[in-house]
Amino acid sequence: MSTLIDLILLTLMAITAIAALQLKDLFGAVMLTGIYSLLSALWFLILDAADVSFTEAAVGAGISTVLMLGTLALTRRDEKIPSHPRILPLFVVAITGAILVYGTLDMPAFADPEAPIHTHVAPHYIEKSGEEIGVPNIVTSVLASYRGYDTLGETTVIFTACIGVLLLLGIGRRREDDES
Amino acid sequence: MMPSLLDGLSWLLLLSGCACLLISAIGLIRMPDLFTRMHAAGIGDTLGAILVLAGLMLQSGLSITLIKLVLILFFLLFTSPTACHALARAALAGGQKPLLAEPNADNSPAEQSPS
Amino acid sequence: MMFEVAAVALFPAMFLALARAIAGPTVYDRVLAVNTFGTFTVLMIAVLGFMTDQKDFIDIALAYALINFIGTIAVLKFFAVGDFGYQQESKK
Repeated sequence: MSTLIDLILLTLMAITAIAALQLKDLFGAVMLTGIYSLLSALWFLILDAADVSFTEAAVGAGISTVLMLGTLALTRRDEKIPSHPRILPLFVVAITGAILVYGTLDMPAFADPEAPIHTHVAPHYIEKSGEEIGVPNIVTSVLASYRGYDTLGETTVIFTACIGVLLLLGIGRRREDDES
Repeated sequence: MMPSLLDGLSWLLLLSGCACLLISAIGLIRMPDLFTRMHAAGIGDTLGAILVLAGLMLQSGLSITLIKLVLILFFLLFTSPTACHALARAALAGGQKPLLAEPNADNSPAEQSPS
Repeated sequence: MMFEVAAVALFPAMFLALARAIAGPTVYDRVLAVNTFGTFTVLMIAVLGFMTDQKDFIDIALAYALINFIGTIAVLKFFAVGDFGYQQESKK
């Protein structure tokens, strides 16, 4: 059952990506990118990465769509058709994809207890966080101290998103005239 | 209390909700212009969501999940019609005209073309 | 069982909404399709949460419902005024 759902989701994502590439109307391509972002967020959720999925939905479907539309307002909305076939970009993409696929061959098996993620820093955090940080909760000490810069970046993203939402909804702005 | 009855009711709600969603998706494809498509999408956004979420609520029992589902329904019912309304306004402002049945059919003889 | 049926019934609806987003002649059709697709995604996440018995999916569905609304309003505001509303105000 879950394999079926995985397959359908991945098919949807592939269709969306190819359609976004084929579309000459760039506004339509931006809309399809939003759908792609929703789908990949759903996919992350199925892979049990709820926080990544959450960020993907907020940043991908929310902010990046708005940013791309803002870019389109400054440029033209039709795709410029290249005059000659592009061999070099295809070559670069193919090589990069091959290297990435080759990289996955060295990855540890799923839920392998000997994987580096379980043997590298996690035991250190569990054993030493009490004396090094002094906070009883290990998750708190990892988030706020060991990965402090990471958390700072995340809160910056959320702060920026909040500001964007407030600006878009026009909260706190006085309007003397009627609605635009 | 009556688990089988609740299960049956929940089945019924979920299935009819999914039917509504499918109908609205088919309408989204089959309808001839933007405004009729919005009409079709409204079925799924309101009735379909209500039925599916109500079916899930019957399964969740009295728990925090129930409250969250009620909140989702509350927000969906607030936001979908608002977004639909904003879309219609933006489309009208952008020059989209609703597709009318025969524009010169009966009550506007003055606009009839000479042919 | 019933959640599986609901999930499987939701996928064709998502396919059709995606087809409208790809085909849509005007940009408003695409916005409508994206909005509908977002609603389907929210319901899908809720159903999947019940199907796999992970009730914390519901929180994410809740957040998605709000994000979807914000995104649609932002896009529409963009199409209605051409930018995000500042140019028009500065003209007056």
